Amino acid sequence: MKTRLPPMSSAQRTIWLIGIAGVLFFILAPLYLLVKYSISDSASINTGGAPVPFWPYHPTLINYWYLFTDSQFYKVICSSLFIALGTVVVSMMLGIPAAYVLGRYEVPGRKTLMLGLISVRLFPDISSVVPVTEFFIRFDAQNTYWGIVLAHTLLALPYVIFIGIGSFESIPRDLEQQARVMGASRFQIFRRILLPLSVPGLVAIAIYTFLLSWDEFVFAYFLLGLGKISTLTLYLKQKMTYAPPQNLLATISVCLSLPVILFAMLMQKYMTAGITQGSVK
Amino acid sequence: MAFKPFKITPSARRLLELWPLFPAAVYLIGFLIVVVSYLFALSFSFADEHGVTIFPSFESLRAVFAAPEFNSAFVNTIAFVAVGTPLELIVGLALALLVYRSFHLRNIVRSIFIIPLAIPALVTATMLFILFDFPGGHINHLLMGKYCFLPAVLHNPINWRGVKLLALGIALAGKVWRDMPISMLILLAGLNAIDPELFDAAKTMGAGLRQRLWRIVVPLILPSISTVVLLRSLEMWKEFIFPFILAGQNNLLGTLIEILYNNWGNAGEAAVVSLTLVVCIVVTALVYLVFIEFVKKLTARR
Repeated sequence: MKTRLPPMSSAQRTIWLIGIAGVLFFILAPLYLLVKYSISDSASINTGGAPVPFWPYHPTLINYWYLFTDSQFYKVICSSLFIALGTVVVSMMLGIPAAYVLGRYEVPGRKTLMLGLISVRLFPDISSVVPVTEFFIRFDAQNTYWGIVLAHTLLALPYVIFIGIGSFESIPRDLEQQARVMGASRFQIFRRILLPLSVPGLVAIAIYTFLLSWDEFVFAYFLLGLGKISTLTLYLKQKMTYAPPQNLLATISVCLSLPVILFAMLMQKYMTAGITQGSVK
Repeated sequence: MAFKPFKITPSARRLLELWPLFPAAVYLIGFLIVVVSYLFALSFSFADEHGVTIFPSFESLRAVFAAPEFNSAFVNTIAFVAVGTPLELIVGLALALLVYRSFHLRNIVRSIFIIPLAIPALVTATMLFILFDFPGGHINHLLMGKYCFLPAVLHNPINWRGVKLLALGIALAGKVWRDMPISMLILLAGLNAIDPELFDAAKTMGAGLRQRLWRIVVPLILPSISTVVLLRSLEMWKEFIFPFILAGQNNLLGTLIEILYNNWGNAGEAAVVSLTLVVCIVVTALVYLVFIEFVKKLTARR
C-alpha cells in the first residue's frame, strides 16, 4: 500500500536517509563479512597482529574446494537432504488431508481440535526435546533417520495443517458443489479440483517444511548428537567444537544458508500466492 | 442364526467422513500426551545410587532449585527477556517507521530488511562468533583503532565470550538482529492500517514530529505493539541457539537444559528445568494478557 504522508523537511529527510543507510549497513555488513571469510586465505585470518582485512589478501575458493572434496561433507549434505525431503513427504501426507477436512468440512469441536493440534508447538523446542528424546530412546529411534524425520514432522505438521487450511478455504465452495452434482466422488473432487487449485499454497508449505528441517538444530542435536548420522547444522557445530578455522566455519555457514535464500527468492511467487491464499477467507 | 446387516448410523457416517483428519490428529495429540506425561514423569522421578528409579519423588526438583547454576540461569533468562523484549520492540518500530513511507526502491529495501529472518539462527550465531573473536576478530580490531577510519577505543582486545555481561549481550544482539524483521512486519501492518490523512490533519493543526509519533502513531498501533511484546517475550524465554553458541558458561534456562541432559546425563533435572521454562512462559503470557485487559478497561473508562 502506498502511503501519502506529509512531506519531510530536509533535516528529517537527512535523518531518515541516515537511518535507512545505517540499517542496510547493519544487515548487509555481517553477511558480507561472512562471505568474505569464506573466500579468505589463512594469511587474511591469522594476521599476526595486523588488522583483519575487509577484503582477503588472496581471495580463494580453497575452503569450498576443501568442503566439496571432503567425503564427510557429501554424506552430511545427503543426510540433510534425505531428512528434509522425508519430513516434507511425511508432513504433507499427514497434514494435507487433515487441512482438507478442516478447511472444507464442518468438524464438531473444531476450535478445541485446532488448539489440540497446535498445542505441542506451544512448548518451547528446548522443553519438548527432552521428553521426545527419552521417548525415542525407548523405541530405539535415537540416531536413526526415521526418528529425526518423525521429530521434524512434529515441528512442521501444525504449520502444514494451518497454512493448508487457509489454502483450501480460499477455493470457492461452488466448484466443489458443482462437481458433486455432476457425480464426482469426494476423492475425485480432492484430486482433480482442490489439489490443482491449491498448488501455490502447497508448494509454499513444502518449501517451508523443507527449510524448517534443513536448518533445524535443537532436535537434531539431541536426537543424533555428534554421532553417525549428521545434518549440516550438526556438522557446523561439530567443526566449532574443535578450535575451528574461521574461513571453514564461514564456508559451511554460506552452504547452509544458500538453499534457504535461493529457495526464498526462486519461489517467492509461490510463497506470496500461498500466503495470500492462507490469509483470504 | 439370522444375519444382521451392519448399519452405520448417520452420526457415525459423518465421523467416518472425517477420517483424513485422524492420522495427523493422532500424531500431534499423541505427541502432546507424550511430551506432557514424560515431562511430569521425569520431573518427579529420581534414580538412586543403585540405579533404581523412585516415582514419585521431589528429589530432582529439590536438587534443581537448590543448585546455584539454576538460580544463575534463571536470573540470566529474566534479564534476557527484560532487556531483549523492549529492544526488539524499539528496533522493530524504528525499522517499520523507516520503510512505512513510500519511496523509490522501497520494495528492495524492505526485502533487504527481511533478509536476517532467512538466515538460519545457527549461521547468525556463527557469524557473530567469528566477528567477536578474541583476540583477532573484526570488532576487536575496529575498537582498537587498527583501521584508519575509527579512533582507538580499547588498548587491549576484549574476550567477548569470556565476560558474562558481554557474552549475554552478544547472544542478545544476535537474537535481536535475526528476529527484528518479525517485529517490523507486525508493526508495519499496524502502521499501514492508519489513515494517512490523520497525519495531514495533525500537521495542519501544528503537531510536531514527536507529537505525531506519541499522540497518533503509538496509540493507533497499540494492538500491534502488544502483539510484538507478547510474542517476542515468549521467544526470549525460549531462546537456545544464540546463548548456546555465544554465551559460553553463562547459561540461560534453555542452555542449562542442554547441559543437564547431554553433559550430566540427568534427564530428571533437565525435565524439571524444561517444566519450569514452560511454567514461566505460561505465567508471562497470562500476566501480560491480564495487564492488557486492565489497560483496555482503564482507557475505556476514560
